[in-house]
This record gives sequence, C-alpha cells and structure tokens, in this order.
Amino acid sequence: MAIVEAHGLTKAFDGFTAVSGLSLEVAEGEVFGFLGPNGAGKTTTIRMLAGIIAPTSGHAVVAGLRPDLEPENLHQHIGLLTENPGFYNRLSARFNLGFFAGFYSGFDIDHQVEKYLRMMGLWERREDKVGTFSKGMKQRLALVRALLHQPKVLFLDEPTAGLDPEAAHEVRDMIQELSVEGQTVFLSTHNLVEAELLCHRIGVVRTELLALDTPENLRRSLFRRQVVVELENPNPTLVSTIAGLPFVQKIEQAGNQFRLELTDPEVYRPELVKDIVEAGGRIMSVSEERHSLEDIYLSLVREEENSG
Amino acid sequence: MGNKRIINILKKEWHVQSRDLNSILFVTLLPLLIIGQALLIIWLVERFGGEAILANSVFQGAIENLRDALPAVSGLGIEGQLQVFLLSQMNVYLLIIPTMIAISFATFSIVDEKLSGSLEALLATPVRTWELLLSKALAGAIPALLVTWVCALVLILGVVGIGWGQTVNMIVTPSLFLSIFLLTPAVALLSFLLGVIGSSRAKDARSAQNIVLAIIFPVLAIIGLQVSGLIWLTPLLTLGLALGVAVLDVFILRIAVRLFQRESIVVKWH
Repeated sequence: MAIVEAHGLTKAFDGFTAVSGLSLEVAEGEVFGFLGPNGAGKTTTIRMLAGIIAPTSGHAVVAGLRPDLEPENLHQHIGLLTENPGFYNRLSARFNLGFFAGFYSGFDIDHQVEKYLRMMGLWERREDKVGTFSKGMKQRLALVRALLHQPKVLFLDEPTAGLDPEAAHEVRDMIQELSVEGQTVFLSTHNLVEAELLCHRIGVVRTELLALDTPENLRRSLFRRQVVVELENPNPTLVSTIAGLPFVQKIEQAGNQFRLELTDPEVYRPELVKDIVEAGGRIMSVSEERHSLEDIYLSLVREEENSG
Repeated sequence: MGNKRIINILKKEWHVQSRDLNSILFVTLLPLLIIGQALLIIWLVERFGGEAILANSVFQGAIENLRDALPAVSGLGIEGQLQVFLLSQMNVYLLIIPTMIAISFATFSIVDEKLSGSLEALLATPVRTWELLLSKALAGAIPALLVTWVCALVLILGVVGIGWGQTVNMIVTPSLFLSIFLLTPAVALLSFLLGVIGSSRAKDARSAQNIVLAIIFPVLAIIGLQVSGLIWLTPLLTLGLALGVAVLDVFILRIAVRLFQRESIVVKWH
C-alpha cells in the first residue's frame, strides 16, 4: 500500500522550474532512494512532500493527507531530516530534543529521547550544548529529532552529506536498522553506494523523473548482462570456436579476458564453460559483470543530457 | 494542543533568554535607567524651569486638562501642580519601555532562527504559523511587561524618594492603572508583533531593527499630544485606547501570518 504518492508534482520559482510533473509512489515499509545531481530538485520534492512548500501544480498524498492542504496535521506523522541540522546551539542536546518533541503528542518524550540518544551514541553528551557537537554528531542528533515521535514516513535529505566515513557509516547503520523495523524512508542522496546499500527502489530525478525501479531492474533495462571469462591460453582457434557458439551474441577480447553476451546467461553459462573446456581452453575465472548503481545513474543522467 | 505548542515555544525562548546575561542586563538595567533619568529630568525641570513652564502657552492647555481631570490639583500650590503635571506624563512614558525592548529583541526572534537553520526544522513540526508568531511575540512581551510594572513601582517609590510624596495619590489614578494593566500589555504585544514581522521579513537583525524602529513614533506622538494639551488620557480614553490597540493586536497578528512566507523563508535562507 502506497504511503507516499506524488501526482504530477511541479514547482517553479520565478520562472525557473525546479521539479516538473513528478509522479511516484512509495510503499509502506519501503526505503526509497531519490537520486539526482545537485540542483535536480531533490530537496524541493522533499519539501513539497513534507508540506513545507506548496507545489505550483500537481499534488501529493502522504500518510493519507495532502501536504499542501493540511501541513500541520501531516507533520504529526512525518519526520524530516533537513540538509542543515538546525539546532539551538546554546542549548543542550536533551533540551533541543525535548523542545522539538513538545510539539507532538502520544508518546513519552523522556523515554524516546533516551532510547534514540543511546542508539545514536549521544547519551553521554546529552547535557552538552549542541554548539560543541561535531557536524556528524549534529546530523545524528537531527536524525534522533526526526524519529522521536515515531513518524509513519521519514524524509531524509542527504543524511550523510559532509560526514566523515565513520559517522556516515553509523547513520547508514541506523537507517538499515529502521528499515528492518519496517520504517518507511524517503532518502534523498547523491551517494550512490549508500542508495544501493539501503534502498529497495530508486528514483532518478533531474527536474523530471528519469527512472524508477529497483536497482536490479534498472541494471537489466539499461545494460545487457555480460559474462566475463578469463582464459589461460587464448588462441585464435579457441576464440573463433567461442565466437561460433550459437548462444554467443557478442564477444570482446581484452588480453586473456573475454566479455560475452549470451542469449540467456542463466541457461547458457554452464554450456559455455563446458564448450570452452572441450575446445581445450583452460578457464581461470568466470563471472558476470555487474554494473554498479553509479553506472546506471551516469547512464540515465547522460542520456537525459544528450536528449536535452 | 495550540496552548501546549505556544507554551513549548515560550519555555524555550525564556530558557534561551535566561542564559544570555547581556540581554538580561539590557532588559532590566536600561528601563530602570530610563525611569531614573525621567525622574531626574522632572526634578530638574520643576526646580529650575517650573515657573517658565507654567507661563508657557504651549503647556497651558495641558495643565487645564489636568485640572479638569483631577480637580484636587487646583488645591495644590504652583509647585505641586507642576509636579503632578510632569509626573502624569509617566503613564504614557512607561509605554516606551516595552517598545524599546521590542526593537532590541523581537527583531532577532525570526532572523536568528533563519540564520541557525532551525526554522525549517521548526516548520516541519505541527506548529501553526500564528502559534509560532504569537508565542515569539509573547516571549518578549511578557518579560517586557513585567519589567515595565517594576519600573512603575520604582517610579512611585522614586517620587516618594525625591520628596514629592504628597503627589502620589494624584499620580496613582484609575488612568495609571488602566494604562499599566491594559494599555501597556496591548502596546507591548503590538510592539513585539511588529518586531516579529520585521524579523520575518528582514535579512538580518540590523535590517529588522530599521524596519521596526518606526513603532516607537506612535508612542512618542501620544506623549506629544498629551504634553501639548491636545488630548488628556482620562480613564475612558485610556480604556478606549487600550481596547483599540488590543483589536489592532489581533489584526496585526493576522497580517503577520499573511506576511510570514514560509516558502520564501525556507527556500531563500538555505
């Protein structure tokens, strides 16, 4: 069941269109990655979905509510981690959290504050002023703030941007933990490794939505699957034998390594190995080339650049 | 729930204020200095320029107004009449205190949130715009009001201290009570609401102060009108003025909500 729906969301600022005709759905319990280069409209989309700004046209439904019509009611049900953590630096971490939690109802503030501060490794620093915190600590504290009221949907805008690797790792672990607990997460990022690691589905945006699917499906739709075979003793006879196999559609050689496109890799990979061995080939390794999310992303963005 | 959110913001604002020694000193010492200075000036004017003032045609109307409002004043000597006349201006003069505090502090209320980035996080909570703006205004107006009341008390004690105790029963009038307990709160809230509007529209606190500085002029205008005899703040007029400003408060709050453009604040400040 979709808990986030966007129907033709469009946002223009003074003649500049930041987001155009964006439609998507995010299911309950899903971690949805929202990818795009800087200025692609990721933050604007999150702000529209979170009821911070209103769309120029189109509409959204989040947790059953229209963000443009009932923003305050919606805010009871969502958590938002903004790009800038935005705390009161002269106040303690606990006071800051208590203050933001004070706008919600239906939970034990002290219990939630302790639970999440401990989870984020900040419990010992709870009475310290936020101004003394590192950027990573502030980001983790902001994540705690977004979670305190147990939101139905968590919007995370670049949650690991500017963090050192260790802090970024901690934040990702936390998101994974939330995913296991069934939390719906709408994650905006341009960290592709992060998206691949965390997200069930991804949407690639550049003002318009360029693609929307699971990383695996996007990989399949954009790139042919290739089998990579490394031989100890490639010779022209062996190469022509391989190229002549009926299920080999394409063959590329780079030294001892061959990239092969098969009509059906699942079915013909064992056949291929058998035929190479029978032809006298000594196989060093066989693997399938996996295109990373980065390849997918770059392919989509470049394709859009070329078409634009 | 609205009250809970307003109280939540008030608690936070006061928590922040209580940790800012400079602000505390400014809010407490400056008004006391204003009152001390006013008393000193009144004492000097009465001592060295008393007869000249009474003879000055500009003040004739005002003194006539005073005699009409307080017939018992006519029974005092010239010196006493002048003392009561000068001290009677204080019920309006006290209005300057919350206005000045508003210019100094309300102007920071939204700008600071913009600069620290906390405003977007705040706007992502269920708080409504009117609750945010009203609580920001109240967070300053309530302490400013308390300070003004303390100043009024200090003023009366000061009057006794400089040896004009015989005039106290003519200064502590229904007009003064209405001014302190109705007009001053209404003006304090108005000043802070205008300050919050300035703060929400400005790029920094200095620009906000420039926008808000104008709010002191109506208060000065009332003082000028009373001193020149054009009006006299009788209890009825004070009550009417207080109610008028209270209605204006509601109107200004609605305008503040309209002028508070969440979208441009969030988009332009990040």
